Amino acid sequence: MSAKYILIVDDDPDLVETVSMMLESKGFEVGKAYDGIEGEEAIKKRRPDVLILDVMMPRKNGYELCKELKSNKWTKEIPVILLTAVGEAVPTTSYTHADGMSVEAEDFIPKPVDAATLVEAVQRLL
Amino acid sequence: MEKFDRIKIGGLKVLEEGACVESSSPLEDNRLGPAVCAPLAQQRLNLSFFTHVAGDREVLCTTSHNGEAALTLLRSRADPAASLALKPGTSILAVYPHDKRPEVIGTFIRSLARARVVIHGLASSPSAISVVLSSSRIKPAVEQLFEHFTFPGFASPEEFFSAQAPPKEYLEKVVATYQEKVNKVYWIIPQSDLDLWGMSIASSDILAGFADALMEMGKLGLAIPFLVALPGLGGQEFILSFSTARRQSGSHRLEACATGDQGSEVRRILTSHLADIRPMRLTPVAGIFLHGPHFGDRYGIAHTLVAALAQAHIKLLALSCTISSISLIIRQHELAAAQVILGNTFAAPVESAPATSGS
Repeated sequence: MSAKYILIVDDDPDLVETVSMMLESKGFEVGKAYDGIEGEEAIKKRRPDVLILDVMMPRKNGYELCKELKSNKWTKEIPVILLTAVGEAVPTTSYTHADGMSVEAEDFIPKPVDAATLVEAVQRLL
Repeated sequence: MEKFDRIKIGGLKVLEEGACVESSSPLEDNRLGPAVCAPLAQQRLNLSFFTHVAGDREVLCTTSHNGEAALTLLRSRADPAASLALKPGTSILAVYPHDKRPEVIGTFIRSLARARVVIHGLASSPSAISVVLSSSRIKPAVEQLFEHFTFPGFASPEEFFSAQAPPKEYLEKVVATYQEKVNKVYWIIPQSDLDLWGMSIASSDILAGFADALMEMGKLGLAIPFLVALPGLGGQEFILSFSTARRQSGSHRLEACATGDQGSEVRRILTSHLADIRPMRLTPVAGIFLHGPHFGDRYGIAHTLVAALAQAHIKLLALSCTISSISLIIRQHELAAAQVILGNTFAAPVESAPATSGS
């Protein structure tokens, strides 16, 4: 059986590297993209089993990309985990949980990401 | 002009509107914590870039409006013979991922040399290699990078620059400052059995020779998990500090130099490309890589790290904080103690150190 393919889209290359290592160590195949437009191109090339999507990115942010995917019949079934800078640790951002809910992502995880939580979330969505 | 095959790489980014402080002291007096990190943390200054080599030399970057404040703080604690210089109008330019490949790091440095960039600091993170340079040199630097690399997101420098102005809404929302009681780190990864190389060169002008040396190390199958470069005392020299390890094909992980001593070969390569240098090798050393603590959005995280190591009497040989991660080099026999203290200081999963050769 081939490994499940997870696509990470984040403009923080260190986070992409780290999450990629975490998921590869659990047997997943991982794709990487560094902004929303690159992410969109990567999805066209290969449909991911789960998409991990940062919210705050240049060119096209995670909410925009998520909204587009969920309104397209070919991509709306792709499970999306949004990585959001909201919550107790980040009092200065104006992104809200409500924003995340409105774009119909399957899950959202606050940054800084807890590795185990992220892997569990991916496994839950497969 | 000599032509090179362009290297396909993930991306590049520019962080503009910064200021950089270069600091060096003639005395190795363990002043990093009390004289550098503590005052910056107390004044809640976020750092976007921070490097240190034992000696004591540092380069730090902050936002442009905090540059003067950082200089004043450091000056208030500095040794009278110390050298401190503020460089306003700086930017940080990074490419990623380097995958620890010397040819990627070497090509990055070669591009900067060809663009005639004055380098205020170089540092690696687990994924990226970053340079601090004058904002006025960003355009020629990026143009040179496009001569040597291809980036999937941008076909040309023009495309890259046109994408650099994010919408106003994005700017309003992008500010995020993490304020946890215990700093969370995604992963703390130790790596033992590294060689640490240190050398002083006359100026950053001759870094092209170092770039060529890195290319040759790449052909040897070596990896560069850590690199910092920064001006030395009074800007009269330029310090290079980097670690080498054997690269394991098809893997993110690095394997230590367990089979054969690469030291003499690395020394030969360095001296053949850089005239009149005396590379110093320290071995074995260990690296600890704190992946993604978002140090740039958390004032005081470098201080937390440095204070924890000092409390455990662990000597920091070199430190790099760039992008969102922290990399540090210590003596190998202090690795276990460092893992314990960092595990107690940060909320993070800690990976066990791989077995060393002969163990």
